[in-house]
Formats: sequence, structure tokens, C-alpha cells
Amino acid sequence: MEDALLKIKGVSKHFGGVYAVNGVSLEVNPGGICGLVGPNGSGKSTLFGTILGLHKPDQGEIYFQNEFINHLPPHTIYERGLVNAFQIPRLFYSLSVMDNMLVAARGQEGDRLFNSLFLRGRWQKQEKGLIEEALDTLEIIELEPWAFTPAAELSGGQRKLLEIGRALMARPTLLLLDEPAAGINPVLGKKIFQKLKALSAAGMAIFVVEHRLEILFEFASWVYVMDKGRIAIAGEPQDIIDNPDFYAIYLGEE
Amino acid sequence: MDPLLYVLDLIVFIGIFGIVSLSLNLEFGFAGLANFGKVAFFLIGAYTYALLSQAGIPFYLCLIASALISAIFGLVISLPALRLRADYLAIAILAFGEILRLIVKSEDWLAGGDWGVTVARAISITGASHRVDALINIGLVYFCLLIFFVIIQLLANSPYGRAMRAIREDELAAEVMGKDRTKFKAQALMLGSAMAGVAGGLYAQYLHCVLPGMFMPMITFTVWIMVLLGGPGNNWGVLLGATLVEVFERGTNIAKDYIDLPVDPSNLQYILFGALIIFVLLYRPQGILKESKIRSKAQRLAFNGRRSAKNKGS
Repeated sequence: MEDALLKIKGVSKHFGGVYAVNGVSLEVNPGGICGLVGPNGSGKSTLFGTILGLHKPDQGEIYFQNEFINHLPPHTIYERGLVNAFQIPRLFYSLSVMDNMLVAARGQEGDRLFNSLFLRGRWQKQEKGLIEEALDTLEIIELEPWAFTPAAELSGGQRKLLEIGRALMARPTLLLLDEPAAGINPVLGKKIFQKLKALSAAGMAIFVVEHRLEILFEFASWVYVMDKGRIAIAGEPQDIIDNPDFYAIYLGEE
Repeated sequence: MDPLLYVLDLIVFIGIFGIVSLSLNLEFGFAGLANFGKVAFFLIGAYTYALLSQAGIPFYLCLIASALISAIFGLVISLPALRLRADYLAIAILAFGEILRLIVKSEDWLAGGDWGVTVARAISITGASHRVDALINIGLVYFCLLIFFVIIQLLANSPYGRAMRAIREDELAAEVMGKDRTKFKAQALMLGSAMAGVAGGLYAQYLHCVLPGMFMPMITFTVWIMVLLGGPGNNWGVLLGATLVEVFERGTNIAKDYIDLPVDPSNLQYILFGALIIFVLLYRPQGILKESKIRSKAQRLAFNGRRSAKNKGS
């Protein structure tokens, strides 16, 4: 398809002699949730890191909105609207929950040295709107009562929620999520996916790694299965479930 | 010696080192850069001031030049140094400071080598007493301190300062959240160096001279003690730290005239400083004052609004 949001062509990444990602090609289309599953060590997180610009691919090409992004530094890729939430939360722990949210907003006027000192009116006005937006998102992830406490005081599950909420503050065009439902109670996990589904219906594309297959298969519209650094199977959730190879890869059954 | 003059002199020193600790607070407290070469930029500022004022340039231009040239050096050293990991950065800048000191010490043509350069007072009134002279210096030093304090305070409470603190907390996460870490760090180092440069200029003109021996690495460590003691990330804290350390340093020097000890107490100073820093890091790692929260106007409004709503509800 020509208008795929994210296009990956033959990307490989090796660490030493080990190919973590080996000739992966895939596409993520705008709108909808696209899943990526596979056993541990199959290269999912490395693939995400490569898309984000954290690792430069050894081979292959990555296009985002038809722009070649292999060579771009991570912060530029972020400004393009390709946003990530880590599997293990990497919050700014001494900052408040609110500040963690505000840091993530894209295109802030006050992010520049000159503006922060001399165009104070401009960013303060923007900041006011961002705070409202942050409070709304915090309400959804049930963190609003903690808005002004340091992130370090949150529980494990809450940290995970903040990691996702923070990514949403950037109003991503494409959101990469690494196991959003892991470590969160099942009810809230499902609620998050419902919210993601609503966001994707509103135009945000989501590319998600998830081991909780029952949740993922309910919401995803397309799923890639990775094994040993390669894409082994791709298809709609129902096709994946019906494919006997999938069980062999995932559960190690012969 | 005139006791009042002694106090005035102390106040000038607190002001000058207050500026240097504010600059280290910007670099270390907010941006997380372990700058162990603070004295290098202090030296650059002092020598810039000394050489330019010798050439007959008015003092305010000399101070501006001190700021600019230190900032340029800060930027230049940041380019290779920021590629290094934090601990290597610290060692690289520390070495840079020593190299600079040895250059001015051994290159006689540059600034008189070991003999240094005599520096004229910024503002001198003929026939003025030492006290008036010290008071003029207090005015000048605290004017600069106020400007820098306001700048850093405004930065700390802006999205820029927030991004800086995010980089300090987790560089990689901040980079993936759209913050250009190299740019932020280079700017912090540039701005911090400019401030240290101005402090150096003020120091040179107050002491009437620059000598290589005035810029030993101990200056850097003293400033670090000020920041760690007072509270990194809190501008009031580091000023408090600067005051306490200066008073302590002077205090031990005075005490030696009154207490009979088998050793010179001014040598004991370094041992006491060492013990103090271990004590602070063990029992109060955040310093005397805790890191200040980020409070932009909009945030304050949201925070207060919520609190009043909560009070009404209960």
C-alpha cells in the first residue's frame, strides 16, 4: 500500500554476531491497532528501538509518512509524531506527575532558551492549555489525584499508566507501545485498550507489542508474528489464531 | 585590621562565589552535568578582564567580554566533552582547568606568567577609604548576582528548565521524548561558563591582580561543596551554601589567632571540608534545602485551584 504510515524495508540490526532483527519488512497503516507478537528474544524491542532511532539499522530502510528516517536522531523522530512508551517505565522520577506529562508535549514554545526567558507570555498561554489536557488524560488513567506528587511515589502499575499517559500527551501520529497491559490489573488493562481503540478510531495509529494475546486479538486489526529476528506470520487476528505455525512459534509446541 | 572591613570583604567574597555556585547549580543541579572544571572558566573570565582592562577598556565592557569569551570556551569544550559519559566528562574538564592554569603560569608573554597582571579597580574614587571601596564592590558584585539569580530562577520554572531536569533524570528517555540532549547540555555549559567568567572578572578587579596561584583546582571543589551543601536544584540553597562555606573558611582563619593548636587550622580546613562533604552526602544527600519544584504561573494556578476545590469539598 502506498500510503502506509510506517514502512520498514529489509531492516537488520545485529549486536556482535547475533542478529536481533534480521531482514524485517512490514507496514503500519494509519488508524487502527497493529500488533506485534513473538516469544521473548525474538527481536520485538530491538525493532522498536531501531524505529525510534535508538539503534541505527545495519541494513534496510525505514520510512515514516514517506520520509526516510534512518539517519534522524530520536528527538527529531519524536517531533515528527512517532512516539514511544517503554516496556519498563522510564519516568523522570524526581519530577511531579504533572511535569512528566508536560515534558512530553510536542512543539513547546518554552523549550527554547530564548523563548523561555523573553517570550514568557507565549509559552505560559500554551502551558495553560497543556495543563488542562494533562489533567484530562490523568483522569482517564486514574492518576489525577496524584498530579502534583513526585513520580517516584507512584506504585508499579501507576508508573506504567503514567508512561502511557505521557506518550499520549504528545498527540502521536503513530504510537509505539511495548507491552502496555503488562503489570496492570486485567480490568484496567482492558480499559486502556478500549481507550486506545477509541484513539485509533479518531486517527491515531498504534503499533503494539503485547503478550496478553486475548486482549490484543480482541482489539488489533492486523498482527505480525516475529520469531528469531524475522517476521514469521502476518495477518488478521483470526488468521493468526487459526495458523498452526503460530502455536509452534509461541508456545514451542511441535 | 578594621573589623568592619573584614565583614565587608566577606560579603564581597560570598557574592562572587555565590555567582559561581549559581552557575554550577545550573549545570549540575538542573542539567546534571558534573563540571569539575569550574575554575577554568573562572580563570578565563579573570584573565580576560585583566588583559582588557590593562588595555584601557571600560570595566563593563571587560565584564561582558569575560562572559562572552568564557561562554565560547564553554561551548568549544562542550562539543567533544558532551560525547563522553558523565564521569569522563568530569575528568576531561578537570584536566582542562589545570592545563589552562599551567599555560598562563608558563607562558610569560601572555599574562606575566607567575608574576601575573595588576588589575585596576572597576570603579575607583580618588581618596575613598577601603570601606567605601569595599561597598562599591558589594554593589557591583550583587548587581551581577541579582541578574544571574533572576535568569536562572526564570529558566528553572519554565518548560526549558523542565526539559533540563528531565535530561538529568534520564537522558535517553528525554531524548526519545523529543529533547535534544546535546543542545540542552551545551547551552547549560555555555551559560554556566559565562556566569563563572563574570565572577572571575569581578574577582580579578577586586583583588587588584591575577596570578596563576589564584586558580588552583581547590576553587572548583569549594564551589562543589557550596552547591552540595546548600542543595543542588535550589537557587536559594546554593547561595546559602556559598555563605556558609565562606563564613566557615574565614572563621577558621580568624580562629587560628585565638586558639592555640599544634597544627595550623587553615590546613585543617581541607580535612574539615572533606569530612563535611562526606557527612552531607551520607545523611542529607539533597542538601540543606530540597530541590525547588517547577512552578510556572499556569502550574501555580492549576495547583492552587485544585487545593481550594479540595478544601471546599471537605
